Amino acid sequence: MEHMEVNKNAPQLYVRTPEDVKAIVRHAKLDERQLTQCTQALYYPSADIVADNIRLLELDGHMLQQIRNGQSLYFKGGLHEKLVLCTDERTYDVKGAEISNSLLLVPDLKFAASTSTSPLKSPRTSNANSSLERSLNDSAEDELEVPRTLDQRKVLGIFHEYFECRQIQPRYRKLGELLQMTRFSGSENEEFIERKLLFSFQQLLDTVQCSRAEFVEGLRQYRALEFNGYLRVLDYEYEYRIVNLMLGLISENSWQLDEVQREETIAALEGIAPESIVAGLFDIYTVPSVRCPEKFKYQEELVARIVAQNILQPGLRFRNEEFMSTWQDALPEGMTCRIEYLRGLGICDKEGAQPCIRSLAEEHLPTTIHERMRALFKTKRKWTLEEMEPYIECFTTPTLSVSTLLAKHARCLTEAGVRYYVSKH
Amino acid sequence: MPILVKTHSSQQTPEWAIIELQGDLEVRSNQDMHDQFIGDLSYNKYGQPILIIGHHILQGREQKLDKPFAVLEKSKTNEGQQLLANVDATLDATTLNTTGAERTLLDNTVALEHKSRQRTEYTVRAICTKKLIFKSRPKPIIANVAKSV
Repeated sequence: MEHMEVNKNAPQLYVRTPEDVKAIVRHAKLDERQLTQCTQALYYPSADIVADNIRLLELDGHMLQQIRNGQSLYFKGGLHEKLVLCTDERTYDVKGAEISNSLLLVPDLKFAASTSTSPLKSPRTSNANSSLERSLNDSAEDELEVPRTLDQRKVLGIFHEYFECRQIQPRYRKLGELLQMTRFSGSENEEFIERKLLFSFQQLLDTVQCSRAEFVEGLRQYRALEFNGYLRVLDYEYEYRIVNLMLGLISENSWQLDEVQREETIAALEGIAPESIVAGLFDIYTVPSVRCPEKFKYQEELVARIVAQNILQPGLRFRNEEFMSTWQDALPEGMTCRIEYLRGLGICDKEGAQPCIRSLAEEHLPTTIHERMRALFKTKRKWTLEEMEPYIECFTTPTLSVSTLLAKHARCLTEAGVRYYVSKH
Repeated sequence: MPILVKTHSSQQTPEWAIIELQGDLEVRSNQDMHDQFIGDLSYNKYGQPILIIGHHILQGREQKLDKPFAVLEKSKTNEGQQLLANVDATLDATTLNTTGAERTLLDNTVALEHKSRQRTEYTVRAICTKKLIFKSRPKPIIANVAKSV
């Protein structure tokens, strides 16, 4: 295979015949009657096959299924990004693997079952059979000499490497960064937005390293909506202001929490914010009401989070009770704030004399696990697993859980029965 | 710009086989090996594959691949880089992790540039779910033993 120069005076190519096979089988002292009828002669690839164009890609069950269903896959990656492979639903890290064994790729090769006219014997039953019966069978076969058929098979390529894939979390960071550059904060501020930095759904999907399904989920997480053909996120304060106005309609119209009306909400904000922004926000923040058809209900967690984000500006810290009561007061009646809603936005710091709540936004932390760990332990000395989870889970894979990651990158200690993680160094 | 890997529905995606050999196939001379004969593959009645290469006999077995392989073929184009070959090269670039929006923006504009000229595509030519593996040492075939009289 290594010698690629073409010999112009190549001798007539040797083609194997059934007689050759029979001869070598005899030399090898194999009993031809014990072989299935068909032998396959293997040949090196032809010169016109460019093996460089052929790659082996290792698949998991999901990818195999997608291929069998005729679904396309995509390689994605910008110039400075590590390549990923996406199905419609999942994202995989792709890595070259080298092996010392040779993998001969042979199209149309017959496996044992299809080379035999009679079903293959299984070793176990043959052992179990009485020797008498077997010898009877064998002698029956002895009598008729089965002609040997010979198929010529060309190897397509000999490989020492393949690409292996590992499912990973979708890489949303770029999506967030690109969207943050053109935050929408009202039509009057649109003139300051760099038009070149506005991206459509398709443009972002093409560049963000995740599958289509994950991309849609990512847009939901970032609360992105489509405005004039481009995907946008809203400035927090602006978003809070609009959502607050929308929530105000609940008490204004004496709606129950699960009888919020879409059309009415959009109509009420006419002139205050563009219709597509209000409609987009409404669809992000509400779910259809279970009790009343055609009506909606705000998602408590999303509402609580935008409110909390507005109170908990970066750099600020609050006394625990003070924060919770301010937060609760800012929510519409009937909604309750919970500390879990702060996931990825802020942390509860119990180390000082006064337990306090402060801002720690996941999206502002470093993107590599080493640096992120360092940053986390700098803001707070010891963490419980639950506290760290929202900040670490973006590094997990189906085989690599948060606790495995922490076992590797942090030190674990137990104080008063509570397990904490602290910096390794 | 994503690079498409085209597939066909299962009827049109054939099943190919992999023969795994320990080590390499090597020839002593610097001969051009294209189209040259390698060896005979037979099966015994129990389905065990037997491969005879030159005066060596190898006994193997048929094995289902835990992780099947897809055979990808790159569509022939003159333009555009061969993305897969660059996997390792891009590795270094990302670990450098220059921070912030500047980088992503750059990547994106590069991606947009590529959109106009990159036309690399892959096609899933076949799937391999089974292999014949020959792990044991090849045994020599000694042909001309003097016949005992």
